[in-house]
Amino acid sequence: MPRESKKTLLNLFVGGMSCAACSRHVESALKSVPGIGEVTVNLALGRAAIDFDSSRASLSDIKKAVEDLGYSASFDTANLQVSGLHCASCVQNVERAVKNVPGVYSVIVNLSAGSARLEYAPAVTPLKDIMETIKHLGFGAVEKLEGRAAADREQTAREEEVRRQKRNLIVAWVLGLIVMLGMFQPYWILPGLVPEWMNNKIFLFLVTTPIVFGPGRQFFVNSWNGLRRGLTDMNLLYATGIGAAYLIAVINTFFPDAGFGGPEATFYEAAALLTAFIILGRYLEAITRGRTSEAIRRLMKLQPKTARVIRGGAETEIPAGDVELDDVVVVRPGEALPVDGLITDGYSAVDQSMITGESLPVEKQIGDEVIGGTINKTGAFHFKATKIGNETALAQIIKLVEDAQTTRAPIQKLADRVAGHFIMGVHLIALAVFLFWFFIGYDLWFSPETRLILTPYILTDLGVFGFALLTSVTVLIISCPCALGLATPSAVMAGSGKGAEYGILFKGADAMEATARVQTVIFDKTGTLTHGEPSVTDVITTGEFDRDKLLEFAAVAEKNSEHPLGEAIVNAYRELSGGEPKNTLSFNAVPGQGIEAGFEEFNILLGNRKLMSRGNIDYRKIAADAEKLETDGKTVVFLAVNGRLAGLLAVADTIKPTSVRAVSELKRLGIHVAMITGDNLRTAEFIARQAGIDRVLAEVLPEDKGNEVKKLQAAGFKVAMVGDGVNDAPALAQADVGIAIGSGTDVAKETGHVILVKDDILDVVAALQVGRQTLGLIRQNLFWAFGYNTLAIPLGMGLLYPFTALMVSPELAALLMATSSLSVTLNTLRMRGFVPQIRRGGSGDNS
Amino acid sequence: MKKPALVYTGLSLIGAILFYFAASDTDYTTVERVGGMVWVFVLLMIILMPAVSNWTRRKTPRSY
Repeated sequence: MPRESKKTLLNLFVGGMSCAACSRHVESALKSVPGIGEVTVNLALGRAAIDFDSSRASLSDIKKAVEDLGYSASFDTANLQVSGLHCASCVQNVERAVKNVPGVYSVIVNLSAGSARLEYAPAVTPLKDIMETIKHLGFGAVEKLEGRAAADREQTAREEEVRRQKRNLIVAWVLGLIVMLGMFQPYWILPGLVPEWMNNKIFLFLVTTPIVFGPGRQFFVNSWNGLRRGLTDMNLLYATGIGAAYLIAVINTFFPDAGFGGPEATFYEAAALLTAFIILGRYLEAITRGRTSEAIRRLMKLQPKTARVIRGGAETEIPAGDVELDDVVVVRPGEALPVDGLITDGYSAVDQSMITGESLPVEKQIGDEVIGGTINKTGAFHFKATKIGNETALAQIIKLVEDAQTTRAPIQKLADRVAGHFIMGVHLIALAVFLFWFFIGYDLWFSPETRLILTPYILTDLGVFGFALLTSVTVLIISCPCALGLATPSAVMAGSGKGAEYGILFKGADAMEATARVQTVIFDKTGTLTHGEPSVTDVITTGEFDRDKLLEFAAVAEKNSEHPLGEAIVNAYRELSGGEPKNTLSFNAVPGQGIEAGFEEFNILLGNRKLMSRGNIDYRKIAADAEKLETDGKTVVFLAVNGRLAGLLAVADTIKPTSVRAVSELKRLGIHVAMITGDNLRTAEFIARQAGIDRVLAEVLPEDKGNEVKKLQAAGFKVAMVGDGVNDAPALAQADVGIAIGSGTDVAKETGHVILVKDDILDVVAALQVGRQTLGLIRQNLFWAFGYNTLAIPLGMGLLYPFTALMVSPELAALLMATSSLSVTLNTLRMRGFVPQIRRGGSGDNS
Repeated sequence: MKKPALVYTGLSLIGAILFYFAASDTDYTTVERVGGMVWVFVLLMIILMPAVSNWTRRKTPRSY
């Protein structure tokens, strides 16, 4: 298979990242590889989305770039059951053939197990193609169920991380509490409760050391790995703080006269509790990462593992991944559908709520589309598989949500840039604070009554170096924005997952942020505000032909039309005649005007006033009739035959009841609402009045819709365009937020930044509400991760010391730091209970 | 990568030595001077390491 020379979006799993600095390092390392374009690293998912040119960069290059930094890197893995292998030569043939497939990083075939383990990039070559390569060699290849899905591996990795941090947490806190009791034994009521030997410094050394070199070891190891490569991150802040507190305590234990404060300055509880609080923050982050990707896991769980198909006349149960196109699938009550398809036999009601958000089961009968992952409720039916594997609606939705979670919102990019400078700034402040207290502050303000806040210590013998060092270390710890790496990604994941619950799919974190900032919404008319199922209401003839003949001419001209107006005319003819319109001899569609057609001995012109003018047809005879019909909200098309006006047809499309509510809600949110249509101004204004829209852009040619969007943007508005994702593609692409409504099951082909699976205009309002809620969450999280610590820096610097003789201890600083992680975690979890206001107390009409 | 290491280590050492000399004219004990010098060296390394490494990397892109 030849190597393709094109840009490909690739997912790479990166292990070992623990903070925003890590993800930035990985990004810049990847971007320095020739052939790699955009890179977005999601710390929460542990994944990098890489846009690369496969003709210039290899998978090895990509992996090496990350591994050289000290992180682990892997692509997707799959386990295949390979049948027909019987010797080492078969193994070599399979390995050689598979290794030559672009996108395969490594393959190991096991002869005795009859299996193959792959590491590969699905974006370059899907697994099915790799299996085909094996099958072409004459062997069988099916995917092992237990090897399926990166989400399983991600979930396993996340669970392992949570378990690891939980173990560290238990060790750190149990031992840490012992150290704390021992350190404070002489004070308060503790002499009566805690034995004196627990205050022995050697004992405290023996209990603290396992904490620092056990649970705390990860900070030293990660720091060293980073430093070896010239990188600094938050692990270094932790290692410096814990290391300094521990070292001072050890020196004062074994060398009390060394001048570091003496036996009273053995800050074992500082080192122990500092470690414990930081581990607590890590544990909370690990839990948050697990919980916020729940949306993806929930979607993936919808996919059943097996399917029942009819092959060779018999019903067989097979792995769901083995269903092929056109297979007839059997579904019984209560079962989940394995793939997308069309019903061929039977009928039932299907619960689609998990995918589209529709609250009521949907009746399905022969010829209706069904979606993989939905649940069959009552009946049994057969359906023909029309979409399998990555083409099913469920797979497309999962991919959209996953991709959205690996993109970065503009606000996050800003936060990351600030964070990078922030860490550097913190170290500079720590250095300045040390120098200040060492040379100036200590002599001016040191008091023998010096205390650490919330501790009983009096640090009478604390020397200048110990004092300055303590302050410097406290600044490092207290200012560490360790929750920053989690603040935005966790909110984006929660927001995209929440949107997916309602059938609202954001194509990226930037789409979510843009949706939150929308100021103007433009609705397409036909099919968006209206039902899009117009019908012929009036036929007026000039007398030359009767009404039935007029309708026949119009239907012949519109026979192959996909426009709702044309379909309405053809349907009216079918009802009248019971048959299909005849074929034209010639056909020419004039965009924005109508149709020119040749039929038998007739030349037909069917369209608006512009077409009549173009054909020099005098339509004044029925102009008044046309105006009256248009004022009533109908669309009028004129008909001319052989160069003379024959009459007109009026078609009416009714407004959706939910359109009025949607417009009213948007206005209540402070959004300007406009309507755009190719229809004539009178009809457009009628519909707009009904909907409550003040601004109407009518008689707009399809290719000019994008220009109208551009005009509003030029006026300084953030514009969302709502329309059909296929027909209105240019306008949707031009808008700041293109919202494709009613995309149904084929979400992949939709243009637009937001895809609404249901044809429910209220989802436009819900999308804005979810976007705003998510952006609000991001801002709050950034405050808890950032602003909170920034406000604490003056405290850590010792600003209050000259007035109070109180210092912030390192463990108090760590407590504040862990509180920021806890705040981000709890704040993000609030999104789970969020319901868009438009959806509270009933979901509205789904028409 | 050796050149950046020399640069930031050298600069950090210079900074630490300057600190030592600044602390030598006063009543600081040897422990305080040496301890302070070590801490200044550590912080300078942390500050200068990424700055110098990134500056060097920008000047000579990695080749794979």
